[in-house]
Amino acid sequence: MSYCSQVAVTIGNVAAAGTAGAGKVGGPVGGALERDVMARLWDSTEPLTVRQVHEQLRTDGDDLAYTTVMTVLDRLAKKGVVRQERDGRAYHYSPVQTREELTAGLMLEALGSAPDPSARDAALVHFVGRVGPQGVAALRAALDAAG
Amino acid sequence: MTAFALGLLGLVLSLAVPAPLARSRWTLATPAASVVLWQAVVLASVLSAVAVVLIAPEEISGALRAGPTATAWGLVGALAVALLIVARLATSLVGVMRRSAARRERHRELLDLLDDAERSAALAGDLAAASEDDDDRARPARPTRGAAHPDPSELRVLGAPLPLAYGLPGRSPRVVVSDGALRLLDTAQLRAVLAHEQAHLDARHDVVLESFAAFHRAVPRPLRNERALGAVELLLEAAADDAARRRCGNAPLRSALELLGAAVDPGVGALAAAGTEAERTADDRAVAAQRAQRLDRLRRPLPRRWRSAGVLALAAGVLVLPPVVLIAPWLADALATLPPP
Repeated sequence: MSYCSQVAVTIGNVAAAGTAGAGKVGGPVGGALERDVMARLWDSTEPLTVRQVHEQLRTDGDDLAYTTVMTVLDRLAKKGVVRQERDGRAYHYSPVQTREELTAGLMLEALGSAPDPSARDAALVHFVGRVGPQGVAALRAALDAAG
Repeated sequence: MTAFALGLLGLVLSLAVPAPLARSRWTLATPAASVVLWQAVVLASVLSAVAVVLIAPEEISGALRAGPTATAWGLVGALAVALLIVARLATSLVGVMRRSAARRERHRELLDLLDDAERSAALAGDLAAASEDDDDRARPARPTRGAAHPDPSELRVLGAPLPLAYGLPGRSPRVVVSDGALRLLDTAQLRAVLAHEQAHLDARHDVVLESFAAFHRAVPRPLRNERALGAVELLLEAAADDAARRRCGNAPLRSALELLGAAVDPGVGALAAAGTEAERTADDRAVAAQRAQRLDRLRRPLPRRWRSAGVLALAAGVLVLPPVVLIAPWLADALATLPPP
């Protein structure tokens, strides 16, 4: 199979996955699929290959094409949340940050404590309002201790 | 003379007005209208500044009896400066909005990966059931706009022990609740919190805040006022509180604010146990004071319509001030040339 035709197949699969419920039975779609793949990587103690992720999803009853899983992993790598390493002939994928680290980062950003001051104008609207600098420092310590 | 009056007006609006306006308590009684008043003050000061720049050269060259060439050059220079002011404001706004959009996009991407989908779906179900109960009981006296609660596809649950709830604005918004908040709050409190966040998202409070932040960055440092941004932040929170208590009542919103506020307050509860030397800075105290003001408001009744109308009328008055000063001389001339009755 040439590279081009493989890409065409992949795109076809993603398109099929994108039109939710329009024919394919089972399988999660779009963002949900990315989330599921990410969950496998987080739950695994070691980096996984595309085939391993694919098999895990299949044993859970998700009827997915191998190339779809490959595309999703590629997309996650482009987003910078997944590390792609070549080991022999196969690529291995692992999360860049643990689930807890990523969660803690989002929460600190939500509380208005991003490292750069330009974050102030990207205000997310937190229910209790802005949190002061010492509050943020204490939260950071609490999150670090929990993680 | 007109240029002088406009300059004075611009300075008063940008230097003298913000501090007392930020301190005033009456603005907090009608938060939504008061945000409009702040916008009117800022816009009027910008209009005055631009008008001064455009008018001053003509008045000065008139007073100096300058030749036509000098007058023309003065006018060209004035146009250039006016354009510069407008361009600076516009680039600041575009910059702030693009940075915000990029950060939010990234935040949403990560959020969607971390979402605890089963719990989000369960929460959406609980909320839908709770609002059906309400509808059975009584129709609200006043019809309310928009959806009471986030669309299930926009609701996200973060698996973290810290009690937290926030909204992520944008074209594809999200409302986020942490695991800790779900444990801490009962259904009524949770509904009030989500109604508050939904009010922020529906009214696009993010755009209001961004435009103030952009203006803040664009004006020269001596004319900047740190208070305006903080005051508008507080007013927007109060406006969202009012929208939430119209739907869900006073009590659940107040208790939710007390519980979630204590959870992120340094030196209190979980954070005191975190073992940090958390000493309050001035900024921490300001943030705590803002929360106290919000809680205090929630013990009072909702704003009266006539009061909001009054504040809106004041805003309109502020906005027409620069044009009135501008046309005042012509108006005076016209009145003077009127034939006596």
